[in-house]
Amino acid sequence: MKLFELGLVEAVSLVKKGEVRVVEIVEDYMARIEQEDQKIKAYLTYAFDKALARAREIDSKKEKGQLAGAIIAIKDNIVTKGIRTTCASRILENFIPPYNATVIDRLEAEDAVIIGKTNLDEFAMGSSTENSAFFPTRNPWDTERVPGGSSGGSAAAVAAFEAMAALGSDTGGSVRQPAAFCGVVGLKPTYGRVSRYGLVAFASSLDQIGPLTRSVEDCALITSVIAGFDRQDSTSSPLPVPDYPAEFKVPLSKIRVGVLDNNSLSGVSQEVISNYQEILKLIEGLGIEVQRMSFPSWEYALPCYYVIAPSEASSNLARYDGVRYGFRAESRELSEMYLKTRTLGFGSEVKRRILLGTFALSSGYYEAYYAKAAQARQAIARELAEAFKKVDFIVIPTTPEPAFKLGEKQDPISMYLQDYFTVAANLAGIPGLSIPSGFTNGGLPLGLQVVGRSFAESKLLKFAFLLEKNLNLKNNKYEMIIRGRRKNEK
Amino acid sequence: MLNMKIDLEHLSALAYLELTEEERKTLPSQMEKIIDWVGQLANLKMEEEEKYTPVEFSLRLEEDKIQESLPQEEVLAMSPAKDADFIKVPRVLQGK
Repeated sequence: MKLFELGLVEAVSLVKKGEVRVVEIVEDYMARIEQEDQKIKAYLTYAFDKALARAREIDSKKEKGQLAGAIIAIKDNIVTKGIRTTCASRILENFIPPYNATVIDRLEAEDAVIIGKTNLDEFAMGSSTENSAFFPTRNPWDTERVPGGSSGGSAAAVAAFEAMAALGSDTGGSVRQPAAFCGVVGLKPTYGRVSRYGLVAFASSLDQIGPLTRSVEDCALITSVIAGFDRQDSTSSPLPVPDYPAEFKVPLSKIRVGVLDNNSLSGVSQEVISNYQEILKLIEGLGIEVQRMSFPSWEYALPCYYVIAPSEASSNLARYDGVRYGFRAESRELSEMYLKTRTLGFGSEVKRRILLGTFALSSGYYEAYYAKAAQARQAIARELAEAFKKVDFIVIPTTPEPAFKLGEKQDPISMYLQDYFTVAANLAGIPGLSIPSGFTNGGLPLGLQVVGRSFAESKLLKFAFLLEKNLNLKNNKYEMIIRGRRKNEK
Repeated sequence: MLNMKIDLEHLSALAYLELTEEERKTLPSQMEKIIDWVGQLANLKMEEEEKYTPVEFSLRLEEDKIQESLPQEEVLAMSPAKDADFIKVPRVLQGK
């Protein structure tokens, strides 16, 4: 077995016992990335030198942190001191941040090693990673297909064994949808559970950082390290962080699960529906009480999101003016410099969303669009809160279809519909966890999403762990992914 | 919802953006479609006027204490152009 095949919890325990050195794991990953990444293109920047230096330091320490041995990739919209952070945008192409995001400080304090920065849709705006200003990332299960997005590089890196785990960010589904497309675990925590300090802002009331991992157990460990109050983020919650990995051992008491009724699945691909129905049988087979539900307000969730997110983005992205950092277009006059910098620096999808947000917030339209969307958001949150009076979790598909081909979705709205099942959790601020749930006949991974009450990550992880164990998809995963990829490799 | 033509020239001026030839061709119809699509929100019947707030816990006060900030030279080093201790930009006023 190669070291890069080790799960995170496994690797950490071997390092602790002194059976493997962190340097050896880093070197194994470097070789793996050099071999794989020309095909997958998961990374925008490698941080090999820093990773090796850091690994040597950790190896020489007597007392090691709880992530010593963990090799982690970071989505390139999370700032890393001294490592280029681009947001996959020309406007930040050469930006080297002078500070770390809080999540990076927390990972490093526990001796995790950052191996590189992963590709994304520019400023996290997209669902396929095709909107990267540099290059698209490919799905490790079928290189003619997208890995999802916007955290597509992170999901692909974890799936292709180019990282042990990764961090992504999720504004409307950007951790969970790529996790489903790439057959990995992805968590969007409760809004406020993880500090957003150092996450380049897209839509501040929706953004949340979350892990992408190869198992639920790995996800629990990383979440326990990155979660918690941070004085640098006034929206981070002061609630104490449970010891998620330890809580695995406590069995779940009687639980009730809400599932979608058949009418709520129209427009969803047949393969996703069959997989969903199989899982529901499995859940019922475990003796868990299942209730059929529908969420009429979800019809408005995406339109609501596509008013709120672009509105916040249009304001957040006003800071890119070419003055203090990032790209600057040469001009003779200041306002012309702003205009040229932004025009040359932003890609089409980013411009589209800035213009949409500018429209929704402009005088005469604010009440009809933004104010209405804020009300719809309240209706969606309330409907979910009502559901959680009756059930502990809601189990839904993560995506309406499996990974699609590069270039397949040309119309913006058809791309936006990717987030149909994920966006409600962002709008309501509640946690959502996607786990691999099976495969299509063609061998593409599918994902199942478990949504829970605010700050119920512990129960969510425990329930997902129960499902993961019973689905038993982990066996020979490495063998499977190699077989899957060979299909369309040229 | 509202049957109107969006004024892309005006919007892009507000957002400090210029559109490329290609964007001039594709954006107007895309934007109209998207705005029509989000316009479904008008059909949502809301009984109350309540709007969503993302954070339920109350915000804390910070102690008024001076803390270390980023060193000046690191901040200046990020800027595309500088002059001694200042960030340099092209002239603000037009003319000679």
